[in-house]
Amino acid sequence: MKSEELFDWLIDEALSSEIEAVTQITVALEIDNITEVDREEDGERTFDWNRLLLAASILAKSQTRKHQEAALRIATAAISLSAEIEVRDAGAVLLEKLSNHRAAKLAEDRELVKANRNERLGVSMRLEALRREMEDSVLVETDGSWLTVNDFQQKLWSGAKTEDTWVSASAPTASGKTFLILQWLNNYVRTSESRVAVYLAPTRALVTEIESELKTLLKDTENVSVHSIPLVEKYTEARAQDKKVIFVFTQERLHLLINMLKENCLIDLLVVDEAHKIGDNQRGVILQDAVERISRINPALKAVFVSPATQNPEELLTDAPDGIAQSSIDSDTPTVLQNVILAEQVRGKPKEWTLNLVREESDLPLGVLHLDNKAGTVKKKLAFIAAAAGERGGTLVYCNGAAEAEDVALLISQLLDEQDDKDQELLDLADLARKAVHRDYQLAPLVERGVAFHYGNMPALIRMEIERLFKSGKIKFLACTSTLIEGVNLSCRTIVVRGPRKGRGHPMEPHDFWNLAGRAGRWGDEFQGNIICIEPTHPTAWPMGVPGRSRYPIKRETDAVLGQNEDLASYLEARLSDDNSNISNSDEFEQVGAYLINTYLRLGSLSAAPLAKRHSAETIELLESKLTQIADEIDLPIELAIRHPGVNIIGLQRLLEAFRAYKNDPSNLLPVPSESVDAYDRFVTIMERVNVNVVPVFLPPGLIPLHSLIVVEWLKGYSLATIIRNRIDYQKRNGRSYRLPNLIRETLEIVEQTARFKAPKYLSSYVDVLNHHLVEVERSDLIDEEFDIGVALEFGVSSKTLLSLMELGLSRMTAVELYEKIAQDDLDRNGCVRWIQRYAPEFEGMNVPNLITKEVLEKVPLADTTRN
Amino acid sequence: MPAKPVTIGEHHFARKGDAQDFFREMLYRYDLADKVSQEDETVLRLLLDRHPEASEKIGAGVDSFSIRSADFGTRCFWINRVDGSTEKFSFKACL
Repeated sequence: MKSEELFDWLIDEALSSEIEAVTQITVALEIDNITEVDREEDGERTFDWNRLLLAASILAKSQTRKHQEAALRIATAAISLSAEIEVRDAGAVLLEKLSNHRAAKLAEDRELVKANRNERLGVSMRLEALRREMEDSVLVETDGSWLTVNDFQQKLWSGAKTEDTWVSASAPTASGKTFLILQWLNNYVRTSESRVAVYLAPTRALVTEIESELKTLLKDTENVSVHSIPLVEKYTEARAQDKKVIFVFTQERLHLLINMLKENCLIDLLVVDEAHKIGDNQRGVILQDAVERISRINPALKAVFVSPATQNPEELLTDAPDGIAQSSIDSDTPTVLQNVILAEQVRGKPKEWTLNLVREESDLPLGVLHLDNKAGTVKKKLAFIAAAAGERGGTLVYCNGAAEAEDVALLISQLLDEQDDKDQELLDLADLARKAVHRDYQLAPLVERGVAFHYGNMPALIRMEIERLFKSGKIKFLACTSTLIEGVNLSCRTIVVRGPRKGRGHPMEPHDFWNLAGRAGRWGDEFQGNIICIEPTHPTAWPMGVPGRSRYPIKRETDAVLGQNEDLASYLEARLSDDNSNISNSDEFEQVGAYLINTYLRLGSLSAAPLAKRHSAETIELLESKLTQIADEIDLPIELAIRHPGVNIIGLQRLLEAFRAYKNDPSNLLPVPSESVDAYDRFVTIMERVNVNVVPVFLPPGLIPLHSLIVVEWLKGYSLATIIRNRIDYQKRNGRSYRLPNLIRETLEIVEQTARFKAPKYLSSYVDVLNHHLVEVERSDLIDEEFDIGVALEFGVSSKTLLSLMELGLSRMTAVELYEKIAQDDLDRNGCVRWIQRYAPEFEGMNVPNLITKEVLEKVPLADTTRN
Repeated sequence: MPAKPVTIGEHHFARKGDAQDFFREMLYRYDLADKVSQEDETVLRLLLDRHPEASEKIGAGVDSFSIRSADFGTRCFWINRVDGSTEKFSFKACL
């Protein structure tokens, strides 16, 4: 019998009924308020643990996920079900055999097994354990310590260590990728020649998280600094002196740094986290462009790509410069058990729901879940099932949209017992929500009961504190949206989901569903994770049923769009027209169109570009014919377009023509400082010009005044609370009705999507084209070299003091809160540190929220007088 | 009643309505937040002198005129005073 056959035989025949029974019992342990199915005998007494554990240790040798899962299931069952210490020890040894040291450590921490296990084992077992421990460790050169890792982490560590290599690694969500890559980055930057490193993360929230983790790792190191703001001086210091720098950026911020440094922007090392997002609509191409720009400047760049559960990590290496050694690391090893459970209402009994575990062969009945109340509506189903099945906490409810998340959280909160003495951390978060957003923001009373909601446009400080308190267990239930699969590091014990959609509308693709499901199971905190799918046969909730396990296919956004070559060609054709109202599908094609035109203009043809290798000659020819026509109309320098990835140069050319046709004084075309009385009107006009000439982005046009108003307030450095209050006052003054939760959500959305994303992107290109025009008409006296509107909008700052506060690593919310108390508007970083050290003891008297004080003191310890 | 002609500097209008059309056209010829040209400024200074509350409107003195928004999505001429303050005025009130 071949080994594969032996593995299959073990789980399909020899042990099939026993594995079924341990599975039923271990999964049911995870669910609260369940009446388990009747089993013929009591499971515990009938298990032949010796036989099961022997089989599991054989299965542990297999590389197939199914076999490894069975071994992990048996190990988990032995540890949690058996009363005998020998059996539990053996379970822990088995976990170590699976390189799952974190789970073994968890068993020790929970006192399921005793710590000094090795002493109880025989000599040969002890030797083997020792050997395994050595094999499963990597040397951290900076301090000579050994780090215990699993198989995947081991491969990533050694793969990434090799010099001059592009490495792409993929593993399931809970595999400790980020943990390891940060350890590695710390080690690599300190022991190699590398001076400037960039860590790319897809969202600002992740950037903040990674920045703070890296700072903690590097806190004892003098000569490596970490920054999330593109600071030219930090780059120059690292290049000129014996200093090193790690920038943690989104792709947009990396472009800002390159724009400032131009051809001098020499990056030695690039780490791309969540690298599969190169396939994202709109921002994927901006990521791809950023990677290409820095590898053009430094072809010897070392690049490490990390992505969760992807099918084809090697795809990311196809654009590596010629002659660069490459390696891809692909792991599918399970680290925690993930139970997909189907919940269906018992006919005629709306308070009773049957639960079945999904398995490859057939579903396994687990029992009946009892609810306290009838679950009539979709929101109630989500809320009540989550509250019942996940009563012990760590429960995440996936909602379709922010409004639904708020409603579901409110329903859950009513089912929980009122706590008499409230937790101080929860009270602090509620206080911050009231002071920094609005005194009636629904989040505050919910958080006080241990429930929260979570969505993308929330201010980062609040969202990160929610995540932290959910991880620590103080927030027991979290209603969240698709933000969770867009780059937030958050895992849970149980996910409850019904008919998940991604963004607005579309049912989730299987790989997105599994990216979400992968969040269930906190490796090192739990042995199992659960995904409860409600009404799995409901035709609108699950039009394609509950998706089978699937890994994410990496496909560049550019390649996906080029696949629709005919539609793309018609789009480019329409782009040639003078009238922007003809443009449809710009969401789909504008970014990639811009990228293609730039590539064409830069290289003189499309066939010379790396992407030509991946598409047919006909496609390239078809697109090239359109691009030639567009190129004929362009007289703007290509360098200008390269500085603004995703903004189409044909649109910028039209804008230039509009400037040329403008009859009045060209000073009227400039953006004015946010403090100026005509700032609001000027931004209205500029947004309209962008819509008419570049591409319609500030939509619908009727809302431009509102967008302009918020952009101006954002630039003035107003707090969110002030912006929201002003809107409420406006509504009241004009006798208009409003609904507070909607008004708050809408304002948060305009701040995030317009003020922090679209406005910096399009207004900085507007200014660039305008400056080009002013030189042409010999009015370069009007150009303001000092003020960068892109940077000002990205960070929402108008004064040097505010920017300095953010350079210290403070969130905008904290920076703004402090700035309201600081008199001087031109403080540098040292000046801000001195102010904080002088006034921090008085913060409470100034009514500064505790969480803000906490963040300030984390970033600027009072004793630290040397910081710069 | 016969139509009453209006004269503002070099501009002669047979009827008040013609003068209103002239200034309305000027108001909408610009983009929001634009400062008006020298030529138009000269006419607007003369127009403003006709305002019933001219001296309050002029205040510290006129530096320039802008087109900016007024209430309810409409637009309006604004006086930019030499002291940095601003004030809107209605051209209809001057005619």
